[in-house]
Amino acid sequence: MRVVEVPQYFDDKGLDGLAQGLAPWPPDSRVLFDARATKWASPFGFTALLAASQALQALGAELPRLALPESDDVRNYWAKAGFFRHAATLFELHGKVPRRQPDEASDVLLPITPVRASEDVHAVVGRIQESAARILTNELHLEARATMRFSMALSEACQNVVEHAGTGGWVAVHAYNWRKRLGRRVVVIAVSDAGIGFRASLEPAEAKKHGDRWGDGAALEAALIHNVSRFRDPGRGQGLAAIKRFVVSWQGKISIRSGTARCSIVPAWDNDKALSEDLAFFPGSQLQIVIPAQEPAAG
Amino acid sequence: MILTIHLDDVLRDTLSVPSRDLVTRPTGAAVRSRIQDAIAATAAPTTRLDFGEVGLIDFSCADEVVAKLLLDTAGDHYVVLSNLDESQAEAIEYVLDRQDLTVAAIPRVGDPCVLGRTTPELVAVFRAVLATGSGNAIRLAAHLDWSVDRTADALQSLALRRLVVAAAGTFSPLPFQ
Repeated sequence: MRVVEVPQYFDDKGLDGLAQGLAPWPPDSRVLFDARATKWASPFGFTALLAASQALQALGAELPRLALPESDDVRNYWAKAGFFRHAATLFELHGKVPRRQPDEASDVLLPITPVRASEDVHAVVGRIQESAARILTNELHLEARATMRFSMALSEACQNVVEHAGTGGWVAVHAYNWRKRLGRRVVVIAVSDAGIGFRASLEPAEAKKHGDRWGDGAALEAALIHNVSRFRDPGRGQGLAAIKRFVVSWQGKISIRSGTARCSIVPAWDNDKALSEDLAFFPGSQLQIVIPAQEPAAG
Repeated sequence: MILTIHLDDVLRDTLSVPSRDLVTRPTGAAVRSRIQDAIAATAAPTTRLDFGEVGLIDFSCADEVVAKLLLDTAGDHYVVLSNLDESQAEAIEYVLDRQDLTVAAIPRVGDPCVLGRTTPELVAVFRAVLATGSGNAIRLAAHLDWSVDRTADALQSLALRRLVVAAAGTFSPLPFQ
């Protein structure tokens, strides 16, 4: 049994630690994800954890175990986020699962939702608009048209899973106070899948151009920085480019982790590296968009 | 004569789940296919796509419905968009601009306009044709206070982009109603 500790604060940075615990991939024995000490998980953490189990099962591994957080409050939040609804079929759960239903009328703008097909994207976009309008304009002080732009970005992010992953994925959208890293309220979109990843998706069209430099990092740079698509159609590659444009205009952050690399468009308020390579391998692709509350104009 | 296609109706017929939103490439491709069938079956030289009851359109769907439709539609057929809201116009403008395409549009609020790759000259001539009605380059040059050659070049560009109807040296606005 491989015991993999789920970080106390399980967000995008925490995933690197989880991936280290899974190395070398694939694990050679049954995995126990130990979340007993976990105090908090972001949408990124939730969706990545589901994707990890999905990837293990795709490899024929035994159903992983998940030891649930000891804290009642934390387990309640996981239930509110809709985690247990999906985890029940992806893990052998150890611990008390709250009966609480996923919450769609609070800071959980979109509970964890599977994305497998085009119809799922329609459902996600249809559900998000009212709650997004409430949070984005009232709490984050974004312009009124931001709601539609946000929904467009969410739609494109989900479509990446359907079109490129070769398997299903997960999406979640939460609003919360990001005290430690920013000191402001944020809305976070997380989309994670256990698919083939950016490197494999772009390899047929891009690998030769990059020669020895080709790898997860180069693939992410090609997609996120240079808007490269695996399709030759000139209308392709616009989704990520458009997301990027919106996120930058809101002083937000977009980052994608795939395989052993993470590539980010880093705003002034964050000190992340634009490209991190040689990370521990994690299957599929994980996209995160952080949109911060807008600061009042100076003067 | 004009063929009006209400995109909310097409969306309803296309999807198995109810949705007001034009999102995803498969949905866009299916909607475009139905539009193309309707165009093939009509004698009308102009098709108007009505976005009035549509909610969101994302970039992928805008590419499938509008950009690919413009690329695939024969040169003697005209396409105009109507009842666009601000976000719909923004998505369509973005995907058309990246592919050097243009389309005439009537927003929900405001005058007819050109979406996609434009120049100030193209926009000025488009507006002048709308304001003055059918005419030749000499008449329009006088209206714009431009040289005839400059006006004729701009009108040819508009005609190539199917933003005006050109016939025997006369340029007419597209029928928006």
